Amino acid sequence: MRNRMIALLSVVLALVGSASLWAAGGTGDTIHIALTAPLTGDYAEYGVNFQRSVQMGIDEINAKGGVLGKKYVLSVGDSRGDPKESVSLAQKWTSDPSIVAEIGDFTSSCCLASQPIYDAAGMVQLSPTASATTFTPGSVWSFSIVGTQAYEQPFMADLAYNKLKIKRMAILFINNDWGMDTQKFFKENFEKLGGKIVAIESFFQGEKDFNAVLTKLKESKPDALYMATMYNDGALISLQRQKMGWDIPVLGPSSLYSTELTKLGGSSVNGLYTNVSFFAKDTDPRVQAYVTGFQKRFGATPNFHAALAYDAIYILTEAIRRAGSTDKQAIRDALAGIKGFQGLTGTVTFTPNRDAIKGYKAVQVVNGDFKLLK
Amino acid sequence: MFTQQLVNGITEGSLFALIAISFSLVWGLLKLVNFAMGEIYMFGAYAGWIVVSYITPNLFLALIAGFAVGWGLGWIVEKVAFKALRGVPHIASLVCTIGFSFLFKEIAAAIFGAQTKAMPSFYSSTAIVVAGANVSWLQIFMVALAVGMMLLLQLLFYGTKIGLGVRAVALDYRTAGLMGIRVDRVTSIAFSLSGALAAFVGVLAAIYYNAINPYMGFVPGIKGFTAAVFGGITSIPGAILGGYLLGIIENMSVQFVSSGYKDFVSYLLLIVFLLFRPNGILGKKAKL
Repeated sequence: MRNRMIALLSVVLALVGSASLWAAGGTGDTIHIALTAPLTGDYAEYGVNFQRSVQMGIDEINAKGGVLGKKYVLSVGDSRGDPKESVSLAQKWTSDPSIVAEIGDFTSSCCLASQPIYDAAGMVQLSPTASATTFTPGSVWSFSIVGTQAYEQPFMADLAYNKLKIKRMAILFINNDWGMDTQKFFKENFEKLGGKIVAIESFFQGEKDFNAVLTKLKESKPDALYMATMYNDGALISLQRQKMGWDIPVLGPSSLYSTELTKLGGSSVNGLYTNVSFFAKDTDPRVQAYVTGFQKRFGATPNFHAALAYDAIYILTEAIRRAGSTDKQAIRDALAGIKGFQGLTGTVTFTPNRDAIKGYKAVQVVNGDFKLLK
Repeated sequence: MFTQQLVNGITEGSLFALIAISFSLVWGLLKLVNFAMGEIYMFGAYAGWIVVSYITPNLFLALIAGFAVGWGLGWIVEKVAFKALRGVPHIASLVCTIGFSFLFKEIAAAIFGAQTKAMPSFYSSTAIVVAGANVSWLQIFMVALAVGMMLLLQLLFYGTKIGLGVRAVALDYRTAGLMGIRVDRVTSIAFSLSGALAAFVGVLAAIYYNAINPYMGFVPGIKGFTAAVFGGITSIPGAILGGYLLGIIENMSVQFVSSGYKDFVSYLLLIVFLLFRPNGILGKKAKL
């Protein structure tokens, strides 16, 4: 019995010892930051792209000597797209004194859930993609660089009503924080222009069978369908819509912009309209350097979300450089003051609420490829 | 649009019915639930995808591949979660199948990647229009295949010796053993069959929805289980009835409540039946 206790104790000590060695990345000559993203689960494709972009950015920055003469050390946590998991990770990061800032999470729901932890601990929470309007105003430590739906949807409503002359629209949205926000702002702006929303339906994350809801939407005889969904759901919905023989114009927010949409959706997504603030075929040399570098290293074309994560690590680096120190408060203050940062996804100027207003360009899927609309 | 929802419901119902039969088989024999059934369904879909994308775009070959993979996985789960844990309280087996569920999901994500993959379409054009509803060839094919499978199972259980063995073990495994039936072998075969059925449905679902990913099995597994409970988990006709009713009710409910809540209707049914009539509609005395 005594031998067993000793053995157990040594195992525990060894584990604790190795864990603390492993976690102590932030010593005098390194800067330890954390990344929270959905590496597995329904949103795995987005989370993996986050990790790739951030790692690529960090490797580039470290190769040039790091920031303030120190190199980055990155800790990565898998939130699985689950708000509860995002909260656990927030607790883990904030209880590690060597971590100075956090990039993540992917969904607005995860960011909102973990926001109180970062707020209480005083650590920057920089989300590349959270676009729910309730996120950044909730804490002075919360930042987002994607541009909220309050800015993107007026652009989409204008595209639909004024350019495409659509008068009656049906909306299908994913019932989470982001989806609710997106459809709310689209509806508001579309109706303000004079359009009519003839039907609104929603679905929950994980739904795969859209036949029933598409049938119901078809009944209301809209001129077009607005899909406030991510691109994997958008592709499935398009496939099932095509199978039903329901042929109408389809629009959606920038979440639909991805080579995966056309790969999964095939001919069913041809003609779809969306917007981009990052376009992989943009001739800007910085965009091309990122795209080719990403393709060479990971064998995939980066999409909008990947580019945002890349911008995030660079904008954080700029903030640390301006702060001149790794003090968490100094980093936050420097970040909040950033104006006119030239990212791959557009110019970032943080508003007093710490979100960003971006520019948008309309694109349409033509023969399996995204083309800028004139 | 009721007819269209009915058509969608019968198609989806065919899928639920087959998964429900898988659950019923396991319950009938072992009085236990295999919570990894959804993941076996998912691996069946991937098996079909591999065949169609890399070997030959032949739907039947894909279905056979799915069936075979499901058979194998069913066999593995039975040997580890049930046979090895015989004599231990049942909760251990149940938790073990939950463990398998997680394991299979992550293995699939590790091998195939977590992204959703596209599955080619077969026979998706509209065949006929009945009272304003589009019925595609694929839907007709799926329902026909499901019904054909159910008839085959009936033949198996009532026309063959092994089927007799399964029914006997389900009735009373001790006496069946005393009568000279090899209980272990029968259980193993029936379990493998339940896995094969689930995987078979996985291939069909992959073609119907044109997409597969490692996490696709969770909801169908739960819905299949709901259908089995709803119809009467102790009987195969009950599972079939439950499956079709669930499919139809779910799709019809979209007409009356917001479509986001169609799952809510299914789960509400499950709760209500577990509380007030746990033997389901056709439950109680009927055994297989």
